[in-house]
Amino acid sequence: MDAVVRQQESSDLVGLVDTENPFDIPFSETLPRQLEAIDASFKDRVDKIKLLQNRAESGGITDIRRMADIVPLLFAHTAYKSYPEGWLVEQKWDRMGRWLDTVSTRRVEPMDTREVKGLDAWLQRLESQGHYVSCSSGTTGKCAMMNATMADGEFAGHSLLRAIIWSGIVPNHDRRMVSLGQVAATPRNRASGKPMREAFNRPDVMPFAPNVPPITIGGITEMIVLRKKIADGTAKPTEIAYFEAQAAEREKAIESSIEQAAAALIESRHMPLHIMGLFGPLYKVAERVRAQGFSGKDFCENSAFVSGGLKRVQLPGNYREFIFETLNLSFDRFCLTYGMQELNTNAPRCKAGRYHMAPWVMLLLLDESGEHLIEPTTSGEVEGRAAFFDLSLQGRWGGVISGDKIRATWGPCACGNRGPSVSEDIQRFADTANGDKIACAGTIDAYVRGVA
Amino acid sequence: MNLAGEARRSTAQDNDEATPAPFFVRGTLVEGTAVRHRSRDLGVDFVTPKLDLDALIALRTEPGPLFDVKLDEILDFLAETGERMRQDKGGHLREAVDRISATNVLPRSVIELNVRMAGDYLNKARLLEYAEQNLGDARVLDEWVARVDSTGRRSFTRAFPPRLIHVLPGNSPLVSAQSIALGAMVKAVNLFKMGSSDPFMAVAILRTMLDVDPHHPVPRSMSAVYWRGGDERVERAVFQPQYFDKIVAWGGGDAITNVIKYLMPGLQLVSFDPKTSISMIGIEAFESEETLEDVAARAANDVGLLNQEACVCSRVLFVEGDRNQLDRFCERLQRKLVDRNAVSGKAPPLPRDLAEEVESMRLMDDEFGVWGTGDGSGLVVRSDEPVDFHPINKTANVVGVSSLKDALKYVNVATQTVGVYPPARQVELRDGLASGGAQRIVRLGDAGGQSIGAPHDAMYVMHRFVHWIVHEDGFAASPACPQA
Repeated sequence: MDAVVRQQESSDLVGLVDTENPFDIPFSETLPRQLEAIDASFKDRVDKIKLLQNRAESGGITDIRRMADIVPLLFAHTAYKSYPEGWLVEQKWDRMGRWLDTVSTRRVEPMDTREVKGLDAWLQRLESQGHYVSCSSGTTGKCAMMNATMADGEFAGHSLLRAIIWSGIVPNHDRRMVSLGQVAATPRNRASGKPMREAFNRPDVMPFAPNVPPITIGGITEMIVLRKKIADGTAKPTEIAYFEAQAAEREKAIESSIEQAAAALIESRHMPLHIMGLFGPLYKVAERVRAQGFSGKDFCENSAFVSGGLKRVQLPGNYREFIFETLNLSFDRFCLTYGMQELNTNAPRCKAGRYHMAPWVMLLLLDESGEHLIEPTTSGEVEGRAAFFDLSLQGRWGGVISGDKIRATWGPCACGNRGPSVSEDIQRFADTANGDKIACAGTIDAYVRGVA
Repeated sequence: MNLAGEARRSTAQDNDEATPAPFFVRGTLVEGTAVRHRSRDLGVDFVTPKLDLDALIALRTEPGPLFDVKLDEILDFLAETGERMRQDKGGHLREAVDRISATNVLPRSVIELNVRMAGDYLNKARLLEYAEQNLGDARVLDEWVARVDSTGRRSFTRAFPPRLIHVLPGNSPLVSAQSIALGAMVKAVNLFKMGSSDPFMAVAILRTMLDVDPHHPVPRSMSAVYWRGGDERVERAVFQPQYFDKIVAWGGGDAITNVIKYLMPGLQLVSFDPKTSISMIGIEAFESEETLEDVAARAANDVGLLNQEACVCSRVLFVEGDRNQLDRFCERLQRKLVDRNAVSGKAPPLPRDLAEEVESMRLMDDEFGVWGTGDGSGLVVRSDEPVDFHPINKTANVVGVSSLKDALKYVNVATQTVGVYPPARQVELRDGLASGGAQRIVRLGDAGGQSIGAPHDAMYVMHRFVHWIVHEDGFAASPACPQA
C-alpha cells in the first residue's frame, strides 16, 4: 500500500467523527485500519519528532505491524515536562523553544525572544507561528507543555460536541449554557468548549461563565517559579507573603465562582440550561442551590456535560443523585466523558455506564510497569494501565501512556455498541500504591510548605 | 484492642508464599500470620501477627525495665549480643538476610555486609565513647550529677530515660542496630515501628538478645512491630504524650509529614530529616590521568554507596573545569559506577518519569551530556545547573562550576554530607557549607565513614533522646538534702 493510501486510512478513521455512530464498529474491523494509520503516522513523524526518533532507535522499531510495536513509542505526560525548570524560571525562551521542538511535529523555529516577557507572552508568540501549546493545570508541580495545531483544537471541540450528541443530548440553540469555570485557560480548553456553546446556547441569552480572573498558564507558572525560589532559599519573606496571598485569592475566586454559578442557575431556572463543569464544583454549586431553598422541581429539564472523574475530590457516595435531583438532570440528558489533556478526543459514557473509545483512538492496555502490552480479548474485562493512540493529533505524537488503572473490554457493550469500552471505575496508579516508603534520603521539596 | 485486616485478612493458601515477619513485644516474640502486607519497594507480601495495641503500652506509674540498670551492665549486654550476632547460632540473622533480600531493593551482598556491620556496631568501648562524646560525661545516664553554679546554687542533673517511638527507615539494616543500641543506652522504653522494606532486622537482633538472656531488662524495654505507615487506627491510638515522650523519625517527606500531625505538647519530634548529599571536586582532579581515575573512583564510591538509597549518597557533583574536562570526568565516573556493580550489584532501573527526563536531555546535546543508561548500572548526566529531578538508582548529576565557591548557592537546608576533593580544600569551604545548611563535610570517597559519636543531622542524637531533668537543691551553703 503506498503512503498516500495509508495516510488516507488515518483521515478515514478520523472522518468517522461525522458518521452517526462511530462507536459501533467491532475492534476486529478497526484494528487493521488503526495499525495501518499508526504506521503511516509513525513513518511520517519519526524524522520530525526527535523524541520519537530516539524511541524508535532504542526500541529497534521500524514498522508498526502489531499493537506491541507501539508500546516502546508511547509518551507519558512526563515527556512533556522534561524541560529543566530553571529555563522557565530564568525565562530562557530560546532554550525552551529548542526543547519544545523535540516533542513537536512541526518545527518550532528559532525566534528573537529578547522582548518576550513571561510565559504567557512566549505562548502567544508561539500561537502566532501556529503552535497552540496547552499546559497541564497542576498548581504546584511542573507544567506539561503539549504542542498542537489549530486544527487539533478545532477537532477536539468538534469531536466533543459529536460525543455529547451521541450520548443522547440533542443541541437545538434552546438552552442557556452555564459553565462553572475553574479550568485553566489553555488553547485546548478554549477550543473544546466553543462548538458546544454555539450548538446549545440560545441566541438571545448570554452564556454564563463566572466572572473571576482566569487561571492562566503564566499565572500557574508564577507560582511554580516562586516555589523554586522558596526551595533555593532566595525568596524574600514579602515574596512568600505574596505567594500565600495569591493562594488565598485563588481560594476566594473558587468560592466566588461557586456562588456566582449557583446564583446564575437560580436566576435562569425558568429556561432550560446546559451545565458544564467538574463533579467537585458541581456538587458545591448544588449544595448552594439547595441551601437557598431550590431543588429539581424549580428547574426545567436541564442537560449537562461533565468531563473526568472526581480528581481526588472527596464527595459523599450519593453525589450524583444529589446533583441530579437538585438541578433536574437525568442520565438521558447527561454526558460524562473520560479524557485527558494529553489526548485530543474524549470517550463518552454510554447508557450502560461505560466509556466508549472512538475508532480513531486505539486503546492499549499495559501492565502496571507500562512496559508490556496486555493482549486485547473480546470476552470479559481486563485490568491494566491505560494507554492510547489518538490518530486525530497533528501537532505532536499521538501515543500516550496514562497513570490510570482501568478495566477494559474489546467486546460488545451491554448498550449494544460493538467498539472497545472502559469501565466507569477508573483509579490512579499513584493513589493505589502502598505509600509508606521510609528512607533517610529526600529532597528540598519536603522543606517547602504546601508542596511535599 | 486488637487490630487486624489493615492490609487484608490472610488465608491459609496465601501464607504459603508470603514471608513471616514476627513481632517482638516487650521481651516476648509474637508469631502469627493473621495479617498480610505488601512491601512498598518490591511489592513482595509478608505476613505478621495481629497487632495488639494494648500490649505495646505500659503506664507511666511503671518505671521502664532499664531505668535502674547501670550503663556498664547495658553495654556488657549489648556487646554480648553483638558477639552472638556474629556467631548467629540461632540463625536469626541468616534468616533476616534471606527475608530482607526478598523485600528490599538492596543487593544481598550489601545486606549481608550491613548485617555484619550491625553486629560489629555493638562494641562496648565504642558505644561508651559514643555516649561520652554525645553527653560530655556519660555518668549523667546513671547518676544525678551535682553542680554548684557561680551564684552558689546547687543542682543535680540526670539524663533521665525517655519513652521513645522509633520510626525506622527501611533502607539500612544497620540503622536498626544503632537505634536499638542508643535506645538501650539511654535506658528508654522503646517502640520500633519497622519499615515495609525491612520488617525483619530489628526483631532478629531482639531475638538474639533473648538467646543471651531471655529475662534481661534490655529486651524487656523493647518492642518492634509493623503497621502500614500512616495507618491512623494505630497511630492516633499509640502516638500519645501519655505513653511516649518523643517520636524519633527517620524519613523522606511523607514519613515526616505524617508524623508531624501527631505532635503536641508533651510529644516531641526528633527528626532525621530527608537529606540530599553532594560532592565538590576541585580543578586539582585533572592534574594527571591517575589522579582523575582516582577521583572518579572516590566519587563513584560516594554515589553508589548502598545503591544510592541513603541520605549520605552523593547525587549532585560540582566540578571545577571546562566542558572537555567535565566530559572526561563524567566518562570515568560512569565507568567506575559500573565497576562497582561487580561488588554491590545493579540498582533497579530508573522509574519511567525519570527515564523520560534523561531521554530528553540526551536529545538536547548542546546543553546536556549523558553517559550510560537508566538500567541501574550507573548513569551520569552533565548539566549547567543541578537537574530538577532527585537522582536515584546510581545516577550522578555532574554540574560544572568555575569555582567551588560558586556551588555554595546550591547548598540548602536539605544538604547533609558534602564530599570534597582535594581534602585540603575542605577548610576553605566548610564555613560556607555550614552556613548554607550542610551538616557534614568529608573527604571525597569517605561519605560512608563515621567518627564515633559525631553529630548527625546537626545534633548529638543521644543528647536529644534523653529527658534532661534537674533537681534544684537551693544554695550550697544551706543544709544539703539527705539524698545528696
